[in-house]
Amino acid sequence: MKGVVFVELIAMAESIAGEELVDEIIDSCDLESGGAFTAVGNYPCGELMTLVQAFGQALNAPVEDLQSKFGQWMFTKFIDGYPMFFAGKNDAFTMLESIENEVHVEVRKLYPEAELPSFKTERISDSELMMIYSSERPLVAFCLGMIQACVDHFGTPATITHKDRTENGKYYSDFNIVMAQ
Amino acid sequence: MNRPPANVAPKSDTVTRRRYERATRARQEAESLLDSKSRELWEANQKLQQQAENLEELVNARTQDLGVALQAARAASTAKSTFLASMSHEIRTPLNGVLGMAEALMDTPISAEQTKMLGIIADSGQMLMSVLNDILDISKIEAGQMEIEKAPVHLAKLFASLEQLYTPKAREKNLELALRMGAQVDQWILGDATRLRQVVGNLVSNAIKFTTAGSVQILVDLIQQGGGQFLLTIDVKDTGEGIPEDRLHRLFKPFSQVDSSIARKYGGTGLGLSISKQICDLLGGTISVHSTVGQGTQFSVTMPVHISAKPKETTKVLEGAISILNQQRWRILLAEDNRTNQIVFQKLLGAYDLDIVVVDNGAKAVQAYQDGAFDAVFMDINMPAVSGIEATQSIRQLEKTHKTPRVPICALTANTMKQQVEEYLSKGFDSHLGKPMKKADLIASMADILADRGRQHPQ
Repeated sequence: MKGVVFVELIAMAESIAGEELVDEIIDSCDLESGGAFTAVGNYPCGELMTLVQAFGQALNAPVEDLQSKFGQWMFTKFIDGYPMFFAGKNDAFTMLESIENEVHVEVRKLYPEAELPSFKTERISDSELMMIYSSERPLVAFCLGMIQACVDHFGTPATITHKDRTENGKYYSDFNIVMAQ
Repeated sequence: MNRPPANVAPKSDTVTRRRYERATRARQEAESLLDSKSRELWEANQKLQQQAENLEELVNARTQDLGVALQAARAASTAKSTFLASMSHEIRTPLNGVLGMAEALMDTPISAEQTKMLGIIADSGQMLMSVLNDILDISKIEAGQMEIEKAPVHLAKLFASLEQLYTPKAREKNLELALRMGAQVDQWILGDATRLRQVVGNLVSNAIKFTTAGSVQILVDLIQQGGGQFLLTIDVKDTGEGIPEDRLHRLFKPFSQVDSSIARKYGGTGLGLSISKQICDLLGGTISVHSTVGQGTQFSVTMPVHISAKPKETTKVLEGAISILNQQRWRILLAEDNRTNQIVFQKLLGAYDLDIVVVDNGAKAVQAYQDGAFDAVFMDINMPAVSGIEATQSIRQLEKTHKTPRVPICALTANTMKQQVEEYLSKGFDSHLGKPMKKADLIASMADILADRGRQHPQ
């Protein structure tokens, strides 16, 4: 998994719990990387799950909520760091639809080895979008946070529900996003 | 999600050793990743550069190959043209004999039956000669050696003579041949009468050939363009069977007739229109065709021309020439290795009382020159052992040594290209006569050099 995810997770944790507590948690996790992450590196996804678990415990927060919070955090980082992906997009649906065929295409140019989840989308109606997440990693809640942040960014409120399933060790979730009329 | 604990420690100015080490390790890892990424980039760049170089080498090699192929193709084309030209020359010489003898035979008392047979020999020979000329023309054009003359031509007379030439053929097929000329056409232009005659003759001859009923019309006009420039327009219209549209584009290509059955039915080399087109190009003009199947075909030629002043009167030249030939018993030396050509020469001049000495090579020509005073020498260029050029140069040298008057020498050859003629004149010849010889040309040419002789030594 890309190092940027770990760097941002730690940054978010530090903003909540402070450097010292975060250092303690990292040390307690006994990670192979030693917790020395760089945004351009690659690290095992297991370390992310271990860290989220540990932060949840230390902060007394459910892992799901923490993942979702982290998804929102990441999305706001994207808004600041990659404004070109947002240029010319006026609503959350257009943005979400562009992840698979625009954003991920650009990511692969810089990181050909990146293992990216897939996001198939389908417009049910003008105000309803179906987005199907499939990944080797159990990060449904992280996605939910991202989608929520995306909807918030464009300002039109929406109801987001999701139905999760696992098949052959892969994680799927059907996100249903309905815009308020 | 729960709220964060209230006791979040504020960020301090100092960091713990382990935090510092973690940050350092992260930086080092980033640096080493950067190193390997840079190396990958460098290698990819090298590979691209190598590919670009290889590609350039490949392009160079291909270009070189193409250059060699082009050179080979050009050499082959030149070889072909040269072969055609020399073959044509080889065929011309015996044919010249056939035609010359036929012409000479006409002047002897023969029966009506024999006259008819002789006519067929002459016609067939002429036809063969025109095919040969077509092939020679095409090879000249392809070799870029077709020369265009610029001399005064009287347009109306040229077209009238063409009409006269083709009227019998049209009449044979019960076709009407009509020549209509604009008022402007009755004047002199600067042009190449031979080539113009060739183009129009070709179109008219084709029109007659492919028309079974109706008429062939020749429409000629001269349109003022300003600045002394005129546009000559010639349309040859027939009421023949027409040419299908999908075959029109092949008309002007060499060796292409509308279909191969035409060659069987009508004969011809299929070179005429191609030659006409190329001559039109050389004359700065255009040739185009419109045809409707079942109604007829119209060929249109246009070319820019300049008006010329009327040249000096050229009539009665031949009568004058004959009178010069008859002035005295001129001593003429003919150096010609070909037996047929020797006979043709003598027969063509048979009507005049001339003292003709014939030798068959250059060395003998020089010897004969030394043995007896000649009024004129006719010298073939291509002779075995000592060529006509070498013999002429020897004669000129002898004249210089012995301070004797210059004997006029006329070059006899089928090489009639301007450049070659100029070479002969520069090497001691006084004039030039192209083969196959025509009686009128031979008489005119001979009279020309003898007239000068007459002035030098008034009788």
